[in-house]
Amino acid sequence: MSGGSNGRSRAYDATLEWPDGRTRTLAVRDDETVLEAAERAGIALPYGCLTGACGTCTGRLLAADEGGTDGDEEPEALEVDDAFSYRRRPLALKDRHRADGYVLLCIASPRVDCRIAVGSSVQSELVENPWK
Amino acid sequence: MSDASTGGDVEPDHDHEHHHEGPGYATPQAAIEEGEREKLAYVMSLYVGTDVDAPDFVAVVDLDPDSDTYCEIVDRIEMPERGDELHHFGWNACSSSCHVEGLERRHLIVPGQRSSRLHVIDAKDRRNPELETVIEPEEVFEYDLSAPHTVHCIPDGEILISMLGDADGELPGGFLELNDDFEIEGRWEPPGEIEMNYDYWYQPRQNVMVSSEWAAPKTYYPGFDLDDVEAGNYGRKLHFWDWENGTVEQTIDLGEEGQIPLEVRFLHTPESTHGFVGTALSSNIFHFWRDDTGEYRAEKAIDFESRDHEDWDMPVPGLTTDILISMDDRYLFGSNWLHGEVWMYDVSDPSNPRRADSLSVGGTFGDVQEVQGRELNAGPQMIQLSLDGERLYWTTSLFSSWDEQFYPEEGERGSVMLKADVDPRNGTLELDEDFLVDWGECPEGPARAHEIRWPDGDCTSDVWQ
Ligand code: FES
Repeated sequence: MSGGSNGRSRAYDATLEWPDGRTRTLAVRDDETVLEAAERAGIALPYGCLTGACGTCTGRLLAADEGGTDGDEEPEALEVDDAFSYRRRPLALKDRHRADGYVLLCIASPRVDCRIAVGSSVQSELVENPWK
Repeated sequence: MSDASTGGDVEPDHDHEHHHEGPGYATPQAAIEEGEREKLAYVMSLYVGTDVDAPDFVAVVDLDPDSDTYCEIVDRIEMPERGDELHHFGWNACSSSCHVEGLERRHLIVPGQRSSRLHVIDAKDRRNPELETVIEPEEVFEYDLSAPHTVHCIPDGEILISMLGDADGELPGGFLELNDDFEIEGRWEPPGEIEMNYDYWYQPRQNVMVSSEWAAPKTYYPGFDLDDVEAGNYGRKLHFWDWENGTVEQTIDLGEEGQIPLEVRFLHTPESTHGFVGTALSSNIFHFWRDDTGEYRAEKAIDFESRDHEDWDMPVPGLTTDILISMDDRYLFGSNWLHGEVWMYDVSDPSNPRRADSLSVGGTFGDVQEVQGRELNAGPQMIQLSLDGERLYWTTSLFSSWDEQFYPEEGERGSVMLKADVDPRNGTLELDEDFLVDWGECPEGPARAHEIRWPDGDCTSDVWQ
């Protein structure tokens, strides 16, 4: 957890990880989404609809730090729903995606410090070629 | 004839019998006679869904073989925001308004399929168009609509856009109308006429409009999932509307063989009630027409068989994603994006299409896999035909998330635009290997390329009253 908690607004550390190994840690206020915090920090993450319908902004939760553990364990199935609060319904994700830790960064605000896989390749994991 | 300045090129002003004051051409045949060879193309160009930190853009492509910049992108009109997914677009006016004095074919309406943002581009200077107006997504959502797709003008200067979802990206979709000042006028149809929407075409003399079905945006946006087909989340219906009233008069379920009906076209002659729709997933073409009792009917007219490939577990469907009808209504052209094929059928008898020729290029099975040493990475997708029917052009991107599933290399390398020479007299196609436009060379990084339009009307824009 980072930033002062003045009783109204607090922030959580979200560490963004790209496939090439690059990382950036952002303080995400609890009234903003990961995407908004990234934009504020000048980090360009992919997005499309901004309403939770398209999946372009999809990230994957790698670890969530609840209550000060080291946060390196792989998240449990339900953890992604505990780790983020959604501003709208995440319509672009099916149950199997949420069970696998996928999260829509355009509408999700972290409720814990966390590490998230980001970049356009994450969204392409949602579906595969059904015939190949 | 040209409707606006072409940046110095003055086109010959043919005398023709049907005098008209407005935009476009008096008849389809007039378009063939008076339309000059296309010297520029506008092409939807995309970065959405990639890691390139740049907005989508409209590419202006030089198609003049005598120009030093032939086959190059000579101008790019950047959108103000990232994330649009530019897809289909259209003119503020076409030949359907050719009786309307003072109206010009001048503004391009360019929707963001993913963002629901609507852009209006002033193309008075055909070579250097400029962004003029932006309608923000929030204004569109107020009408409980999203995911804009097909743009056609309504004959008196208004603009109609098919919208695939509600404000959340669920069903139902509908139609959004803009006025001639490019402001939202409202919903065109009474609520509840349709659930799914996609493409549409109208035939005003017959007082009919036809619309097709893709799926809810939340279903198709993230990619293609067979579970959604099994759950009935993809469309297979055609809707026939009363064009004046904006109400659905008849719905035809195309059945198992008509899954995901996308591009839908009436013949150009304003007298005709015949048309075709390509059903992408089933990879069939349906012919539709009005019968003697005044009812519309639809029948499968062309069937593209799935093909076995040693690297695939299941037979590969053709995925017939685009079709168009030549201005003289003699040929139906189309693309089988997964197979890697463009084809032309003689439709002089629309009930009995006859295969004229095809090219095997790009995609999973194409005989030609590179042009000028450039790997093609994907099959032919959006097609456009010259007004005279002698040159067929195509690009290779379908939809960013679907491209990633079927042709992941396309995102890394960018799309290409290719061309074939058509001999309409003999019904043949020949790949022009001297022609290649490469979106892999764009300054910000490789881009995808989708729909193509000519500056002065084309086979998928123009309708006659
Ligand atoms: S940008 Fe569309 S779901 Fe987030």
